[in-house]
Amino acid sequence: MTETVLETEGLTKYYGSTLAVDHLDLKIPQGCICGFVGRNGAGKTTAIKLMLGLLRPTAGSSRLLGCDSAALTPAIRQRIGYVTEGHRLFRWMSIAELEKFQRSFFPKQWDDKFFADMIEYFNLPKKRKIKNLSNGERAQVSLALALAPNPELLIMDDPTLGLDAAIRRQFLEGMIELIMRQGRTVLFSSHILGDVERVSDRIVVIDKGVLRANCSLEEFRAAVKKVILSFADSTPAEVDIEGLLHCRRSENELELILIGPADEQIGKWADKNGAEKYHIVKMNLEDQFIEYTAPANHRRLFRWEET
Amino acid sequence: MVHSTQCIKSISTIVPILNIEGFINRGKTAVMGLWIQISSGSGEPIYVQVAEQISEAIAKGELAKGDKLPAVRKLAAELVINPNTVARAYSRLERTGLVTSKTGSGTFVSDPKLRRRDAADINVLTERMDNVITRGLNLGLEGRDLIELFKGRLAKFVNKKAERRKND
Repeated sequence: MTETVLETEGLTKYYGSTLAVDHLDLKIPQGCICGFVGRNGAGKTTAIKLMLGLLRPTAGSSRLLGCDSAALTPAIRQRIGYVTEGHRLFRWMSIAELEKFQRSFFPKQWDDKFFADMIEYFNLPKKRKIKNLSNGERAQVSLALALAPNPELLIMDDPTLGLDAAIRRQFLEGMIELIMRQGRTVLFSSHILGDVERVSDRIVVIDKGVLRANCSLEEFRAAVKKVILSFADSTPAEVDIEGLLHCRRSENELELILIGPADEQIGKWADKNGAEKYHIVKMNLEDQFIEYTAPANHRRLFRWEET
Repeated sequence: MVHSTQCIKSISTIVPILNIEGFINRGKTAVMGLWIQISSGSGEPIYVQVAEQISEAIAKGELAKGDKLPAVRKLAAELVINPNTVARAYSRLERTGLVTSKTGSGTFVSDPKLRRRDAADINVLTERMDNVITRGLNLGLEGRDLIELFKGRLAKFVNKKAERRKND
């Protein structure tokens, strides 16, 4: 049995009358890189802050490394790394000062050499003040600060937002490097689904505060399917196929978004309902995510109309 | 001046990477991170991309029997992908018999003579060929054009193998 490092139970947060996180029941096993995805405003940042005990939940609870988020002791906090959205660091400190400051929170396991090597690799002068760094450089300092204490659980809130491809890749490398060490776990939120696919072996999807998926990335990739069926005349009145999420009709075509059914089942349904031909489209993770979180009556923003 | 030396330096580091053959020595661990190309926006899962590219390298003889694939963690770090994805790619290759894993020592390219081929495998192959022939004929190509095309493509694989045998 792998240990659960992060667990929430009915975790709920209202801001006034706005529901931000809705009864989140989540379990993240040790040793994975978990991509945490959802649209803007889906509740990712709120969920992360609740998990870290930085916000008080309206209802429910969460536990990190077996300890209630509302009562994380300094000893537990030392085993957890957190990278805030936008890499907010004290602007008036130099890199060296910030290292000293951060190190004091992780007295037992701070790796001086690792931090120094990373700063040297990034070619950053240690005396430079944070306020004089570019966004990318500040993110690099933030990455080094996150990895140097060798955290058992690293939580990063959209760490690659607004970063160039090379620095984004450095974050991905950092996650892979950390996960190779025994018993390390990473949870990171991102809108770049290509990055999520590259490094994650687990995916958590939330939409409007509600948990929509928490499974292995491979399961998600295999489960969400798009099928196009063509019919000689009209499309069948009733679409009673298992796992139907969305159904779009045109004159003699059906476009179905399905969750879960095997290809053979789709083929059988197509034959039974008199489809002339059908095609299972290979979607990438981004398309799968868009379809999966699309509202039921979703239409394209702009549509080409024949005149 | 500084600029020009930097330029030269970067070119000389790029060239050997393009020279795939130079990086692979028979019976040694292949340095695959340099030529496997991951496309993370693709419809094809990453483990399939890795497995397919290794399959192709084996077919072309760039990897030969007895060659050792890099350790899972090493390839994961080189490609910047999850180690479980590499492990999945390796087990996919193992299922098809292209590689065998020996506990404790690693994953090795298997001997082609010992690979099993059953009727079902041949069936899949003929189906795919039928598909190619159909498309070719519908494009208006003649039978002999198709044969020439096939020969040309095949040469890309077979010549590479022969070249490697000569170098060893």
